[in-house]
Amino acid sequence: MRKVITIVAASSALLLLAACGSSSPSSSPSTSKSPSTAGKFLGCMVTDTGGIDDRSFNASSWEGMQEAQAADPSKITVKYLQSSSSADYAPNITAFLGEKCGIIVTVGYLMASATGTAATANPNSKFAIVDCSIGSASCPISASGKPSTPPKNVDSLVFDTVQDGFLGGYLAAGMTKTGKVATFGGEKIPTVTIYMDGFWDGVQYYNSQHHTHVDVLGWSEKTQSGEFTNSFTNLTMGQTITQQFISEGADIIFPVAGGVGLGAAKAVEDADNAAGSQKVNMMWVDTDGCISAPQYCKYFITSVEKGIQAAVKHAVLTAENHTFTGGTYIGTLANGGVTLAPFHDFASKVPASLQAELNTLKQEIISGKIKPATKSPV
Amino acid sequence: MTAIVAAVRAPIVANRRLIAAVTFVAFGLIDILIFGLFSHKGDATFAFSLFGAKVTVPSLHVPARPVTYALGIASVLIGVARATVTESKLLKRLSIAAVLLFFVLAMLLWSDTGSWADGIPINVITLMQGTLAASIPLILGALAGCMGERSGVINIAIEGQLLLGAFTAAVVASAVGVLWLGLLSGSLAGGLIGAMLALFAIRFLVDQIILGVVINLLISGLTGYLYDRLLVPDANTYNNASTFSTVKIPVLGDIPVIGPIFFDSTIFLYITYAAIILVQVGLFSTRWGLRVRAVGEHPSAADTVGINVLGIRYRNLILGGMLAGIGGAYLTIGSVGTFSKDMSSGLGYIALAAMIFGRWTPLGATLAALLFGFTTALGSFLGSITVPISPFILGMAPYVATIIAVAGLVGRVRAPAADGKPYLRE
Repeated sequence: MRKVITIVAASSALLLLAACGSSSPSSSPSTSKSPSTAGKFLGCMVTDTGGIDDRSFNASSWEGMQEAQAADPSKITVKYLQSSSSADYAPNITAFLGEKCGIIVTVGYLMASATGTAATANPNSKFAIVDCSIGSASCPISASGKPSTPPKNVDSLVFDTVQDGFLGGYLAAGMTKTGKVATFGGEKIPTVTIYMDGFWDGVQYYNSQHHTHVDVLGWSEKTQSGEFTNSFTNLTMGQTITQQFISEGADIIFPVAGGVGLGAAKAVEDADNAAGSQKVNMMWVDTDGCISAPQYCKYFITSVEKGIQAAVKHAVLTAENHTFTGGTYIGTLANGGVTLAPFHDFASKVPASLQAELNTLKQEIISGKIKPATKSPV
Repeated sequence: MTAIVAAVRAPIVANRRLIAAVTFVAFGLIDILIFGLFSHKGDATFAFSLFGAKVTVPSLHVPARPVTYALGIASVLIGVARATVTESKLLKRLSIAAVLLFFVLAMLLWSDTGSWADGIPINVITLMQGTLAASIPLILGALAGCMGERSGVINIAIEGQLLLGAFTAAVVASAVGVLWLGLLSGSLAGGLIGAMLALFAIRFLVDQIILGVVINLLISGLTGYLYDRLLVPDANTYNNASTFSTVKIPVLGDIPVIGPIFFDSTIFLYITYAAIILVQVGLFSTRWGLRVRAVGEHPSAADTVGINVLGIRYRNLILGGMLAGIGGAYLTIGSVGTFSKDMSSGLGYIALAAMIFGRWTPLGATLAALLFGFTTALGSFLGSITVPISPFILGMAPYVATIIAVAGLVGRVRAPAADGKPYLRE
């Protein structure tokens, strides 16, 4: 009998430990430091499984929330719940509904179904969802994948990253010495391939303008086939793939795989150390790489950014000052929702003529003169 | 009795022969009809030197279409021979290997002559280096599995051992600044999980499968939590390790082609060589190995002759865990230098599969892991030249190839008889 008790105690201790480890952030939602939240506008956010410190879209979304609070700390307070698995989405949203949140921000298109269901059932609550045009074919609410009318109380925040991807591709084509540039994705999903489409388009456009023949390794907008790590966590895979590209002669790499890009950066660093000079460089994605991965800043020509932060902040503020309208916000070059990051160390290395061309190009995309093609439209 | 068995077995044998033959012919026809007919004119190029290497080996130019046809016809002939002639076991295995090799070659020839390839050569060295890079954690993990299961304890926790090894190695190497200490502590972390696994499985008789899964969840949560609270806020101190640089073995490393692939790598590859040999020889040619296998097959008999059953199980799980911990350390200080959440990405489960496919032998497990690594590297090459094959198909290719090869080459596998059964003295 004693033995049985020991086993039970030991295994439950183990389980308890496991539970603590994986879910302690979710059980202790972070709130603002102010002790009283009564009467204040409450902005609430449900993270994806990546968690609040994913250096990617969850982190950017939370920064947007915090910026909204900073804009008017006397009126707005923000908090978040972390999802440990997709099974947490709906319960987390329900928990926030119970707390009378002024707006509930959900992060990532995987949460479309949970958000859509909650929004339909609670028409008086306000929602915003990041990286998803809710109800559309690319981000359907129903499990069958059929498009439906989006609920009016949801603000869909999407980003036309084909536009700044295009600028990135053009820049890469202008900067390559070997005539080969490369890109790879984390998984073949629309929010990833739209970047790769833009990058590919940009290189082709440079070729047509300058009568060059710069190759894109790892992706083709025409055939929609190319290189993927099939994981957003396998850094070693990102490194091996980048070594593959470098061995094939590519000298600018554009990983679209979140943190896996760190593996690519390591491969770039190793190749440059082995060569004794900075022959291979890269571009970061989603955020300004010189801020999110500063140790590799000197290899980043630029970053192809997605302005999640600003969009989330805007959504929270409109909900607070009663100008919330729902519908779809599309981040573009025109409204600054997508952009190329500053060149940082490359400011003096990117020729002035190329910088001028990029500015012209940006205006032409804004005016609609150039329409970068993509098979994953927002 | 024997007659009945023979009567039942005869059609099975005939069926197997037919299935094998049809499969071979099908592969041959794919070679001819898809890769041959749709191949483009011109030569595929196999390069044997790295980009910018000082001493270069001339590239090999292969006329794609005729060679693809030849490979396809050869596969069909092998299939016909399989159906008509009674072959020895060795010949059967060789024919499977040949058909698969021809298929891969035909695919490479087809893909490298396509308009999408833009004249990029198939770099054999990169392909093989990629294979080894992907295989190292799998091999070390699979060896850990072998050590445990040969002594009768199932180790599902390889995934957790890799992950904690990766985490500990990165943090220690980063905070202390000594890579070797990182390697050592990563290995010890793996051993610690081995000890935990042993304690709960042997002392408290917890179901070994559930135990392993729970440990994996525990480690994923624990490292994820510490990552958020410690590594992200203070990345420079805790998550900024350097990595082992490559060491070229004198003489051997200068051999063209072979040298850069096998003898010009980080310490992890050499540790892996040593580990494979040690575990293989240890398990099958030493007194220790004999005892381990006795404990795994028939613990009560082993106990009767005075072998310390539980002691051997404890020791094997801890030693195996240390190997897997080294595999984990490879993921950080052997390759990318930074830890990130759940970066073992399921490699531990693949290592487990490699061990089973390798029939619980170190050499077999190594071959299975290499096959998996090769298909991964191949997929990565094909993706880089944007071959018009769906990325989803390329992504699942390693799994499919492993299943086919194992079904064909390995056949029925048998686990150690006492695998997963706790030993209790009567």
